Amino acid sequence: MKSFAYVSARDVPTAVSAIAGSPNAKFLGGGTNLVDLMRGNIEQPDTIVDITRLPLTGVDLLPDGGVRIGALVRNSHLAAHPLIRSRYPVLSQAILLGASAQLRNMATVGGNLLQRTRCLYFYDTAAACNKRAPGSGCDAIGGFNRNHAILGVSDNCLATHPSDMCVALAMLDATVEVESTRGVRRIPMNEFHVLPGDTPHVETSLAADELVTAVELPSVAVAANSRYRKVRDRASYAFALVSVAAALEVTGTTVTQVRLALGGVSAKPWRATKAEEVLLGAPATEESFRQAAAAELAAATARPGNEFKIGLAERTIVAVLRELVTKGDAA
Amino acid sequence: MIIGKPLDRVDGPAKVTGAAKYAADQHIPGLTHAVLVTSAIARGKIIRIDTGQAARSPGVLSVITHHNGPRFAYQPPKHPWIYGQTHVPLQNDVIYHSGQIVAVVIADTLERARYAATLIQIDYAVETPEISVEANLDKAFIPERGPFNLRYEYRRGDAHGALATAPVRVSGRYRTSMQHHNPMEPTATTAVWDGDHLTLYETTQALAFTRQKTAEMLGVDQKQVRVVSPYLGGGFGAKGYVWPHTFITAAIARSLGRPVKLVLTRAQSYTMHGHRAETVQELSVGATRDGTITAFVHSAVSQTSMLNEVSWEEMDATTQLYACPNAELTRRVVRLNLGTPTPMRAPLSVGGYALESIMDELSHATGVNPLELRLRNYSTHNPENPSQPWGTGKFLRDCYELGAKLFDWPHRLPRPRSTRRDGGWIGVGMATAFHPTYVSAATVSIRMDADGKALVRSATQDIGTGTYTIVTQTVADALGVPAKSVRFELGDTNFAPSAPSIGSRTAASVGTAAHHAGSALKDKVIAIAVADHRSPLYGIPAAQVTAADGQLFHRLDPRRRETYADVLRRHGPVDSEAVWPAAPGISRSYGAVFAEVTVDDATGEVRVTRLVGAFDIGRVLNAKTARSQAIGGMIWGLGTALTEHTIVDEHLGRILTANLSGYLVPVEADVPDVDIAFVDKADPAASDIGAKGVGELASNGATAAIANAVCHATGRRVRDLPITPDKLL
Ligand SMILES: Cc1cc2nc3c(=O)[nH]c(=O)nc-3n(C[C@H](O)[C@H](O)[C@H](O)COP(=O)(O)OP(=O)(O)OC[C@H]3O[C@@H](n4cnc5c(N)ncnc54)[C@H](O)[C@@H]3O)c2cc1C
Ligand code: SF4
Repeated sequence: MKSFAYVSARDVPTAVSAIAGSPNAKFLGGGTNLVDLMRGNIEQPDTIVDITRLPLTGVDLLPDGGVRIGALVRNSHLAAHPLIRSRYPVLSQAILLGASAQLRNMATVGGNLLQRTRCLYFYDTAAACNKRAPGSGCDAIGGFNRNHAILGVSDNCLATHPSDMCVALAMLDATVEVESTRGVRRIPMNEFHVLPGDTPHVETSLAADELVTAVELPSVAVAANSRYRKVRDRASYAFALVSVAAALEVTGTTVTQVRLALGGVSAKPWRATKAEEVLLGAPATEESFRQAAAAELAAATARPGNEFKIGLAERTIVAVLRELVTKGDAA
Repeated sequence: MIIGKPLDRVDGPAKVTGAAKYAADQHIPGLTHAVLVTSAIARGKIIRIDTGQAARSPGVLSVITHHNGPRFAYQPPKHPWIYGQTHVPLQNDVIYHSGQIVAVVIADTLERARYAATLIQIDYAVETPEISVEANLDKAFIPERGPFNLRYEYRRGDAHGALATAPVRVSGRYRTSMQHHNPMEPTATTAVWDGDHLTLYETTQALAFTRQKTAEMLGVDQKQVRVVSPYLGGGFGAKGYVWPHTFITAAIARSLGRPVKLVLTRAQSYTMHGHRAETVQELSVGATRDGTITAFVHSAVSQTSMLNEVSWEEMDATTQLYACPNAELTRRVVRLNLGTPTPMRAPLSVGGYALESIMDELSHATGVNPLELRLRNYSTHNPENPSQPWGTGKFLRDCYELGAKLFDWPHRLPRPRSTRRDGGWIGVGMATAFHPTYVSAATVSIRMDADGKALVRSATQDIGTGTYTIVTQTVADALGVPAKSVRFELGDTNFAPSAPSIGSRTAASVGTAAHHAGSALKDKVIAIAVADHRSPLYGIPAAQVTAADGQLFHRLDPRRRETYADVLRRHGPVDSEAVWPAAPGISRSYGAVFAEVTVDDATGEVRVTRLVGAFDIGRVLNAKTARSQAIGGMIWGLGTALTEHTIVDEHLGRILTANLSGYLVPVEADVPDVDIAFVDKADPAASDIGAKGVGELASNGATAAIANAVCHATGRRVRDLPITPDKLL
């Protein structure tokens, strides 16, 4: 690990001015990702701005029925919060299926949004990786890419965004509030993470000097009937091969509301708008679910190592929707 | 009798309070810290190594490369045993595998050493490495047999002929993955020289190996080397042999004139002390229509390294478990630019997995219930030597019975892919567990002091299995004193030499030596008492005196009694020592494992919902530690079946999963309640105390039982481990 300067900020203005004008500085949340990366010399910030003392730890009901979540709320706290559990069960489930209890106790909402890929080559400084070292190549493309993306990939990078929480946030149309010395901005969740294109090292639309201050969830009635399903290689403490966040309302036999997002398949949490279009107004049948899943995955491009993800994603989408129909009936 | 009782670990309090000092926990004045730099490439040469910046970095005492590396008095031979590998790093510029040691930085603090290590610049001339077993199958060869005649070829009868004419023939091609041991405690060496005497605080499963081979490499007499290893946080084979990091650290400490500590990082533990080899196995079985086996033909290929020809993945279950007149076994290796494989709990596992899978396939082909099929082919005599009855060495029938009952194994199996519950397919499977267990010379010494307390010592190891506890129990019983009157010290070559803790031999070997040392000491004290006119036992024939609860008494007149302490207060301390066995021996442990799984219909995720194991391990010395071994072993087998797989990039030869978030060992949520039963019948042929090994045995069986259950659930036979969701879609 390289030596670095350490600054602890107690309020937002101090935090954002500490980072302004020092392009190689980083905010420190729970440190569960950043510190690992620093130890592996993958990230080498010269200044660390510790934001864990910022007063951004509230989970508050908004007048319009939405919920505002401070960026420093710990993952476990958020997952256990009654507002989240009752109104957005999908978010609570997604968080609880991520990492381990110890990690969730440390991890913050802001850090979770900005956690970096788990591509094994990204972590190995002996490998070529355009994300870690722009222009060096991508050893995953011809190598071990079983865990890699199938949607929105480029010839420069196949990495996925590993977060579970973010898949639920994408499904819920969350908004990310960010602040810098230039002021406050609001970024829709689905524009927060960006596809790799020619610049896989650029992962979000956040500027280097911007601090995530909050995430806001709109009021989403259908979220009451929602579910997060994560498919992985062991029962706990493993990243998703594929995950699905879904919410469904069926009136009679017709889908009247639906939201769907996928994880483990792209550099961003993947809002499945094509599938939603197919489903809306369609009969709530296995057949429509399959058509919707196929429509979403039509654009998928796989390598021999991760081809299975296309079928797996389709089957998981169908299984989750089927479950939501049954659950919705029971409710 | 205390033997057999579920006595709590006597070392438990020290471990949970942190009082137990492991190899890396020693506080040594003037200690320096070594950090290894390892090769980024898998094959080629170092053409430039720039250490200037590292050497000038604060706190750095020395930077070592092949230019100034320690030169050794010895070169490990081609078959490295009991070295881990032949290759000695830091001697020249050649790279054989990624993760090979190419430089060592020593500094006054760990942090400074670690930082300086990142400043070393290396340029390589890269060559294309050989990484794939499959791609090199045409180059497979039968290795040399090595010093203890490892068996790579075996034939009896006419296996091919019998197979060709068998009414039922089943063949399978099975693949098992490269795996790593991953003990919780990282491997560590602390080398402290005092003049020309070395003390090594070492994570080792074999004090004697470490002592002997470190001395040999350093060109000093064994007597100048003391190895200390009182506690081990698991080894599973990785700490069984002597690997370069140990003698390199000792050599650096000598030339530096300072004590040096090296703790391998988790990532380094993936390339510094071996791994289980990947295998590709072709196995065929021939049988009559009623399932009577007539032939096995088993041919396996496993990986080895560029300088070594070793295969530890033994397949003897195929030729020794079931009665079958014709059998052929061939094991070959291919050279890869990866490290040298080493035994990993347990050498017969992956061969046993293939055998127990083909048994299941045979059961499907013949319609004979898997359990019945195994009983039909039960061997009462050694199939390799029909004149040798298994006798008290095999109570496998009892295992089948106990296990089947605990599991409620069905007489009639539902058809494959016919049972559903909650969106998943349910299946059951079973397998036999089989493993050799060994004994070899162990020495145990006991001193009983005037207070009647026994201090027992042996240069053995407790690798987490419970040696401290079972030896305490054994000695207590042999002496006839309560367990609290016995203190066992181990893990120090200053004590009497003992067996390595490999091959499931410690309990039987050290336990028996302890029993004899205890009995000898009791006899001595009795002899003293009956000869002493001040003793109430004076004049009684020694054979009429026995001991219990710390009291010596007349068998026929128990009122005539006194305590050990009474005798020793008059007489002074008494010593005894026993060595056992006189010659090394082999026996076999058995078990039957039953599993139930659920396979998610949509996603292919497998969950083990029930796991039962019944084991014949001879006499059970401690019901609790034996049970822990059995549970741990079965979870180990579960990992092999479903999750564990060291992933190597086929172009770069880099191990991509060199940490516990990438290399998936089963977590709590993967493991159901595990039910264990023991036959608990003594095997006097295995050891005088009737015990044999359990640790390795218990990791056999579960893998195949689970794989068979997956096949029963889904109707799909996955012959490629681990069985991950993608393979079941
Ligand atoms: C072994 C392991 C397993 C895991 N498994 C999973 C899993 O299954 N699913 C899953 O979703 N996640 C998983 N994680 C990832 C975990 O969720 C993230 O590490 C965690 O959410 C990061 O949060 P943090 O607060 O610790 O971030 P940090 O490590 O502190 O920071 C991460 C990044 O975010 C930046 N940052 C932090 N806060 C802010 C802010 N407010 N504004 C701007 N930038 C900020 C930091 O500068 C840094 O670049 C796993 C992690 C580990 C180590
Ligand atoms: S997939 Fe992306 S992160 Fe992985 S090696 Fe390629 S460029 Fe790097």
